[in-house]
Amino acid sequence: MPREIVTRLLHAIAVCAVVATSVFVLIQCAPGDPFATALDGADVPPSVRAEWRARYGFDLPPGERFVRWAAALTRGELGYAASRHRTVAEVVGDAMPRTLLLVGVALGLGFAAGVGIALVQTRHHRRWQDRVLGALTLGGVAVPEFLVALLAMTWLGARWRLFPVAGMGSLGDAGAWPLWERILDLVWHLALPAGVLALAVASRVARHQRAALLAVMREDYIRTARAKGLGEWDVIVRHALPNAIGPVIALLGLALPSLVGGAVLIERIFGWPGMGLTLFDALLARDYPLILAAVLLATVLAVVARTVTDAIAEYVAPRRARER
Amino acid sequence: MNPALLIVDQLQIDVNALRGAAPKPILRGVSFAMQPGETVGVLGASGSGKTSLALALLGLLPPALTARGRVLFEGHELLAASRGARRALRGRRLSIVFQEPLTALNPRMRVGAQVAEMARAHGERDARRALRSAVDMLGRAGLPDADVRSRRFPHELSGGERQRVLLAMALLLDPALLIADEPTSALDVTVQAQVLQLLHAQQRERGLALLLVSHDLGVIATSCERTIVLHDGLVVEDVPTRQLLSAPEHAQARALVDAVRPAVRSA
Amino acid sequence: MAASTWRRLLDDRAARVAGGVLGAAALAAVLAPWIAPHDPTLQPDPVALRLVAPSWQHPFGTDPFSRDVLSRVLHGARVSLGVAAGAMLLSVTLGAALGALAAVVGGWVDGVVSGLVDVLIAMPRLLVVIALVATFGTLSPWWLVALIGGSGWLTTARIVRAEFRDHLQREYVLAARALGASRWRITWHHLLPAVAPQLAVAAALALAAVIPLEAALSFVGLGVQPPLASWGNILLDGADYLTSAWWLVLFPVAAVSLTVGSALILADRLRVAIAGEEHGE
Repeated sequence: MPREIVTRLLHAIAVCAVVATSVFVLIQCAPGDPFATALDGADVPPSVRAEWRARYGFDLPPGERFVRWAAALTRGELGYAASRHRTVAEVVGDAMPRTLLLVGVALGLGFAAGVGIALVQTRHHRRWQDRVLGALTLGGVAVPEFLVALLAMTWLGARWRLFPVAGMGSLGDAGAWPLWERILDLVWHLALPAGVLALAVASRVARHQRAALLAVMREDYIRTARAKGLGEWDVIVRHALPNAIGPVIALLGLALPSLVGGAVLIERIFGWPGMGLTLFDALLARDYPLILAAVLLATVLAVVARTVTDAIAEYVAPRRARER
Repeated sequence: MNPALLIVDQLQIDVNALRGAAPKPILRGVSFAMQPGETVGVLGASGSGKTSLALALLGLLPPALTARGRVLFEGHELLAASRGARRALRGRRLSIVFQEPLTALNPRMRVGAQVAEMARAHGERDARRALRSAVDMLGRAGLPDADVRSRRFPHELSGGERQRVLLAMALLLDPALLIADEPTSALDVTVQAQVLQLLHAQQRERGLALLLVSHDLGVIATSCERTIVLHDGLVVEDVPTRQLLSAPEHAQARALVDAVRPAVRSA
Repeated sequence: MAASTWRRLLDDRAARVAGGVLGAAALAAVLAPWIAPHDPTLQPDPVALRLVAPSWQHPFGTDPFSRDVLSRVLHGARVSLGVAAGAMLLSVTLGAALGALAAVVGGWVDGVVSGLVDVLIAMPRLLVVIALVATFGTLSPWWLVALIGGSGWLTTARIVRAEFRDHLQREYVLAARALGASRWRITWHHLLPAVAPQLAVAAALALAAVIPLEAALSFVGLGVQPPLASWGNILLDGADYLTSAWWLVLFPVAAVSLTVGSALILADRLRVAIAGEEHGE
């Protein structure tokens, strides 16, 4: 078992190294640098440009910059985000928890709702409940989430004013509110972006969970459970679900990268100041250290989350399968 | 004579018609009766509809199959009863032991809990008491070290032990009728004999009726007073087993008897 | 075995409807220049014909620049479905080739391919594509195909590798080997047809993943650039008029959702047909 952990760790490190290198190389191939917009005007003397570029190492050959960047990275230094006038670590330190909050809440809600939907569908297999929920979850996958976000923002936010349309906190003297009011305010702002993301997660989870449950429902031990005189709900929840949930958790791990990607769009639409919005701003400003850090950290997040879901899936896998 | 425990009257099972196809019958009008405490064998080749018969009695036919006719059990008209009424009878008054003891047990649940669940499904609120009665029953069903082994998962037990778990589960609530669907065909010969012995010991002790479904005349001959031979969805023989062995009337029954006769005679 | 899978699929009403929708969308995309009632980029009268509600003249209404939305959705299908189909073909071909190579050759080749899949599958695809697109500025549709397709072959490679390894153990392959057939002959004549249904599932799922990806990229302004119409950038134009001009959003969204939904249904029904369990249920 410890050996397995070591392999997984090495694996995760390899992933991050590959991603870091490829993003660095690709950005090197791209035109422009963070100072292009600010300094490359005709009225800026060449000496000033050279001075600023030298201060941040942009005058060095790409190979050496990569070595420096990688060396700094191993020390935990991510560089300086010129567009924010702060270190990358500070920017990311602010943004990352917000993204974690958004993705975590969406994942938790979506997973629970998705499993619940699948349970109802299995209980009423081939009846109207199954069909209606099946159509809804199909829609939840087929309709792009940025559009759901837009609709939610326009109607629930702007039209009916039920929820705020942007940001993660009320303006003005909100900072002076008592703690529970600030938490309530945060939940209120979180509702739309997390809800939209959770909807997308729930639809995908429900579709896979339903298929897995229906496959398990054909097993002999389900018949045994029914022969005991158990009610259909007990049969599904106590006997089918524990045997059907493992693959869905593993699959969720595989789908996590695309969830993180989806969160980027959602953050942009709702102005949620997390990693996604940071990435967009950094891209516009060509702030390479920040772009690199954002992509790298999103990858790390996906890798970590996947390792965790893999471990959970392994743990809940049917013992029989593990034995064979 | 006391009233019959089970009366099966013109039971018909059809495969539901798919688009265009005509419904295909599995049972074409099966009738027989059982007295309390009686042991009856149902003999038939594979595909003769014997497993469907067992499932129909419990109301566990897969959705693709439909049963028609009348099944009277302890005065309840089973095919017409509500789902809830049938569920209340399942496991408590009539229970079943399935053929494949590995796949018939939930791989993710400890066997003691699986047996105890039988009690909890029928109103036992106290989890600890249910588990204690389950362990007790496992011991009586011949599972050695029942209090330790009840905490094992199915794959940690041998085939014979798993079958004892299923048997303990079926007998826990003292049912009036036990249906055993090929209870031994997945087991080694020596274990087969042990399980059959156990089945009979329990039956005598509790006075329950046993419907033993098998394709194996040897198994039925050693245990059943009366044998019903199913062929092509119909009852072709319903006679005392001794009579079946000495003078089978129907050609199909004769074929089955001839196939195992040397073994039965030497036994 | 594979042949009966296709027959079961053809017997399946939901699969026929989904296939019909996809076929109709493809046909509309191909025929757009002939069936579109107007020029999709023409701005006849940005004042009088601005944001006209659907009418006989403009069945899907007009946009803020007085362009005909029906014509833009039809021409958008060319770009959106073209990019999607191209990216799907690229990713499925690449994935099938690499997955097959890994399974058939084995050894270090398998190690490299499997390792690569394991590493790359953890990358957030949309994020990386956005970063790349933004870094290189705007990209032509061809580059979009290369980027989206080139980043999507992983799941196909996984499926094909697993299926091939399974089939390589089976008796008919061993028999063919015993008769002296070469590895590549077996791959081409036995394995590939055997896994074709699974490959079709992968293709349908890839299509369902790629259409929204293009739409999302174009929606944030990083994909297909105006005046070229795509479903994503029609949505971008309509986003500001969600409450006043619903037709700007409804029709491109319907186009995206119908095609994605059909691809998903097709993948589902294909799986059912492969399992052949429809009759058991």
